[in-house]
Amino acid sequence: MTVYGIIMLCTFFMCLLFNPASELPVVTFFGRIMVFTLIGLLSLAVYYSKEELTVKSWWIRTVLHLLLLEAVLLPLAHHWGFWKSGPDAWIYAGFILLAKVLLHLVEYGINAKTASQINEKIRKNRLEKRA
Amino acid sequence: MKVTVEQIGREHEEELIVRCHDPGASWVEGVREAASGQRTVCGWRENTLRRLKLSEVFYFEVVDDRSFVYTQAEVFEAKEKLYEFEQLCAGSALFRCSKSMILNMEKIDYVRPSPSGRFEAVLSNGEKVVVSRKYVSVLKRMLGV
Repeated sequence: MTVYGIIMLCTFFMCLLFNPASELPVVTFFGRIMVFTLIGLLSLAVYYSKEELTVKSWWIRTVLHLLLLEAVLLPLAHHWGFWKSGPDAWIYAGFILLAKVLLHLVEYGINAKTASQINEKIRKNRLEKRA
Repeated sequence: MKVTVEQIGREHEEELIVRCHDPGASWVEGVREAASGQRTVCGWRENTLRRLKLSEVFYFEVVDDRSFVYTQAEVFEAKEKLYEFEQLCAGSALFRCSKSMILNMEKIDYVRPSPSGRFEAVLSNGEKVVVSRKYVSVLKRMLGV
């Protein structure tokens, strides 16, 4: 759902910047967004490992994941007419990068909240034990 | 084997006396553990076997099919597999925190998010270990978050 939401956000801002008067054929548009989301989710298989990933291998896979997304989504978006010229392609590639960064930031934010809840509980438990 | 249970008054201290031929027999060890209410695990270090209480274990880790037990400042090698440690730790403060590790919740000083989408737990001895997102829900449940 996060992936879907981020793709929708990026699409909204791209339309707002480059074609504010555009009208969308709802079924086709949402169908294509769903395909993008599905590709985004399937590509997460890049992170699959039997062993726990080290920080270094996580960064390598993150770069690989970005390259994979660019390699699959750019031609597909071109085929569907989301971008036409060379400069458009760079902007589109930039939006894919932005979407990935945004996804990790959202994830980090959620984790920070969870960590703060856990730390609060650990602190309370410690105080109770001392008392 | 003859088993004698004698009921005593509250004013007397409870006591367990084992009369046996071999004080080192495994069943005697079992009785000792049951009486102390402590679960233990055996760990090897420099050709010496030591019995470690679960409460003194910081974490268990499996690396290249070898199992290790980490305490405050020492590392021991053990024979058990990760799933056997998991069975041993059931109902205790130890929980599976990643694909290769079982961590003692009571030794966690604090946790912080890691840029890699996981969590880093800083332990009371200053050591840092990874807690996967998949298993952080177990920690939350154990803590009652």
